[in-house]
Amino acid sequence: MVALVGLLAGIMLGLYFPGYIPTSMSVYVAVALLAAIDSLVGALTARLKKNFDTKIFLSGFGVNALLAVGLTFLGNILDINLYIAAVVVFGGRLFQNLAEIRRILLNIRNEK
Amino acid sequence: MKEKSEVNMKKLSVNVAMFLMCLLFGFLASMQFKTVKVEGGNVSNTASLRAADLQSRLNQEIEKNSALSAQLLEYKDELSLYRENALLAGDASDLLNQQLRRAELLSGLTDVHGPGVIVTMRDSEMDNDSEHGVIDENYFLIHDEDLLRVLNELRDAGAEAMSLNGERILATTEIRCAGATVSVNNNRYSVPYVIQAIGDPENLRAALTMRGGVVDSLANWGIVLTIDNREDITIDAYGGAIQYKYAEPVQPSQ
Repeated sequence: MVALVGLLAGIMLGLYFPGYIPTSMSVYVAVALLAAIDSLVGALTARLKKNFDTKIFLSGFGVNALLAVGLTFLGNILDINLYIAAVVVFGGRLFQNLAEIRRILLNIRNEK
Repeated sequence: MKEKSEVNMKKLSVNVAMFLMCLLFGFLASMQFKTVKVEGGNVSNTASLRAADLQSRLNQEIEKNSALSAQLLEYKDELSLYRENALLAGDASDLLNQQLRRAELLSGLTDVHGPGVIVTMRDSEMDNDSEHGVIDENYFLIHDEDLLRVLNELRDAGAEAMSLNGERILATTEIRCAGATVSVNNNRYSVPYVIQAIGDPENLRAALTMRGGVVDSLANWGIVLTIDNREDITIDAYGGAIQYKYAEPVQPSQ
């Protein structure tokens, strides 16, 4: 699908891109990636449930990433691992979305 | 017709959005993956980030230190050059030069040579098992007090210049235990300790080896001092910089 093509293209682009992410920003990029994974899997679920909305997808991606980065930054200032909140929430939603996807796919098989 | 084009537009926007997002995600993910591989996987631990930061600061300070030491040597060379020029300048400065040399001799800022003794001290090699049971290991090691006693005896016997492991002993020199080593003029040294002293060799030897003196009391623990008489010993000048922040010379009243 389109998503897979985009994914592969992005990975290739990143592997051959010269330079690295500066070490100090590495934590933030990692947390933003987690938010991205959550958004993507959520989009997949929405597609399967036939209620995908581009606006919600894009805004969710942006806002979640920003919030995750903001929490990590605040956590660094206060010297408390606030990024754990983001990790727990996004990880939990990942499991939820995957469960829904699994249910939908199995139901389709049943109906067929 | 209109509906179909609307549906197509929607499908297109959906596909474009998904494509772009997946592209961005793949790009960031592989960049992050590359970075983590290069950094050795230590990036999210803020504590070790701080350790790395401190380490790089330490390296900077070490570099600064060695640069300053090199500068110090340069300035000393310049200084001796100026002195030589001043000497050639005329007889009026001859008296001043004599005074300067005398002051340097006393203060330890110039190399000296003369007859004297070389005292070598090593830690004890005795076994730590006596009839009284196992004793504290510390008694078998040389401490700062022992070194200070030897220097004191030598001074009492008329030593005019002394050095410990090459460090000239000044009025401001400390000899202090620092773990397994001893700190002299802020440099670390360990056994064997070699003390050079310029003076009357017989007097110096007699002061150390008198009955109940330093040699005797250290010999109890098996710490042996070897004393060598010499006709001519060279003791190097103090290698660092001297700074007086509190003491000021008293101006002679008119």
